[in-house]
Amino acid sequence: MLMYYYNSTEAMFDSIDPKSALPIYRQITDQIRWRVAAGVFAPGDRLPSVRELASQLLVNPNTIAKVYRDLERDGLLETRRGDGTYIASDAIALAASERTRIIEEELRSIARDVRAFGLSDQAAMDLFRRILNREAERKDRR
Amino acid sequence: MNETGATLPSAYSAEAAGAASAAKAGSEAPSLRSTSLAILTQNLTRRFGRLRALDEVNAHIPKGAIYGLMGPNGAGKTTFVRVLLNLVNPTSGSATVLGYDVVREPVKVRQRVGHVAALQPLWDWMTVRDFAGFMRGCYPRWNSEAVSTVLDRIGIDQAATLGVLSRGQRAVVAIAVAVGHEPDLLILDEALTGLDPIARREVLRNVIDAMQAEGRTVLITGQDIADMERICDHVGFLVKGRLVLEATLDDLKARVKRIRVEHPGEAEVLVPAGAFQIERRPRETVFTVENYAEALLSSLDGPGRRVSAANLSLEDIFIDLAQAHMKGQDMAGAGGKLPPNVPGHGQEQAPAEQL
Repeated sequence: MLMYYYNSTEAMFDSIDPKSALPIYRQITDQIRWRVAAGVFAPGDRLPSVRELASQLLVNPNTIAKVYRDLERDGLLETRRGDGTYIASDAIALAASERTRIIEEELRSIARDVRAFGLSDQAAMDLFRRILNREAERKDRR
Repeated sequence: MNETGATLPSAYSAEAAGAASAAKAGSEAPSLRSTSLAILTQNLTRRFGRLRALDEVNAHIPKGAIYGLMGPNGAGKTTFVRVLLNLVNPTSGSATVLGYDVVREPVKVRQRVGHVAALQPLWDWMTVRDFAGFMRGCYPRWNSEAVSTVLDRIGIDQAATLGVLSRGQRAVVAIAVAVGHEPDLLILDEALTGLDPIARREVLRNVIDAMQAEGRTVLITGQDIADMERICDHVGFLVKGRLVLEATLDDLKARVKRIRVEHPGEAEVLVPAGAFQIERRPRETVFTVENYAEALLSSLDGPGRRVSAANLSLEDIFIDLAQAHMKGQDMAGAGGKLPPNVPGHGQEQAPAEQL
């Protein structure tokens, strides 16, 4: 049987959760941003077309088009005329700032809880350091 | 860019909301309507005896939209569809589909519309192939290849008789045939209800594929709200025959938020007018607003307080709105209709409107 592959480096996506309070647009955007930050998506990787991804994730094609448009504006994606959408060639540089941004966002939400629970800065920092060490040990064991 | 998609449809809810935008839309409004609305109803009412199945419904469904019409059981969703297809006449008011009045030109409407209903009666003794052939004869154009592609994808044998197919397979046959004549408007009336996951996925995929053609419109009714959230860009809520809300999904989600105010002790939190699902507890007050603006949070803030706004899924929004309306709670005095999409705020008091 003859099989046709679009491109072996074509990016893969996780299914989305329509019941989440996080809008579908954000779920897809976050997937791409996170994977660029983690280096799972590398410059030159081809993304599915709007139509393919809408069909695959079962979401409104306009939502996908908007995700691609906004990420292209942010420099993470680039569209080659008549060819498709790719991870941009300078996404490597962006990945570093993307990593900082994602961590910062998570830490800010933790900081708010630290304040709300009345935890001291010292206690919070100690806790964070302990968790970092534990993660490092776990990685070493593997 | 994305603004076009977001603001254009809001202009219609603004039109429905009346005066404010009438001046803005000016004399261009009628031509705009005829070219950009797939479905327009004006004061559409249908009575069955004393029951008002549809009560002064003003729906605006833009061309190219995937419009989800939601509502509790018996809200009038199916009656709405049946009026559009001229299977029942309106008692008063009017409905226009793709520019044709549904009462005066029902044939023109039906030739341009693909329709899938829940538990659609299919002729059990007919083979899939004969059924598709029969339907083909009803329309001026037909795309056999597209129909076969859909059927092949989940392995439906065209020589099988309809009677031996599962409920899910029948739903797929129904949608394959409904898109066979490449309709400008596709109507799915409770078509996702009770389908197995494979059939559901296939029906959704067909809707998305159908949308790839320029300017095609989809109207979906039902209670499968998670699915609606996936694919719809516009939503309408019918409650007891009244269209209590019509908005783009993005707009709706930006405006309806669950507000939580945590306070150190008992506190009388000043809940804004029009808030609903209000819960007052000893150390927190929680409520839903329909007109969220960031200014609201700072107005609720105070010493020792923590204020936050949470997004709601469409399902949460639906449940909150439906419950509020079923209780007959006054929704900002505006029948729950979102005010025109004006970027500024100060819209907390929507102009009173009689639906």
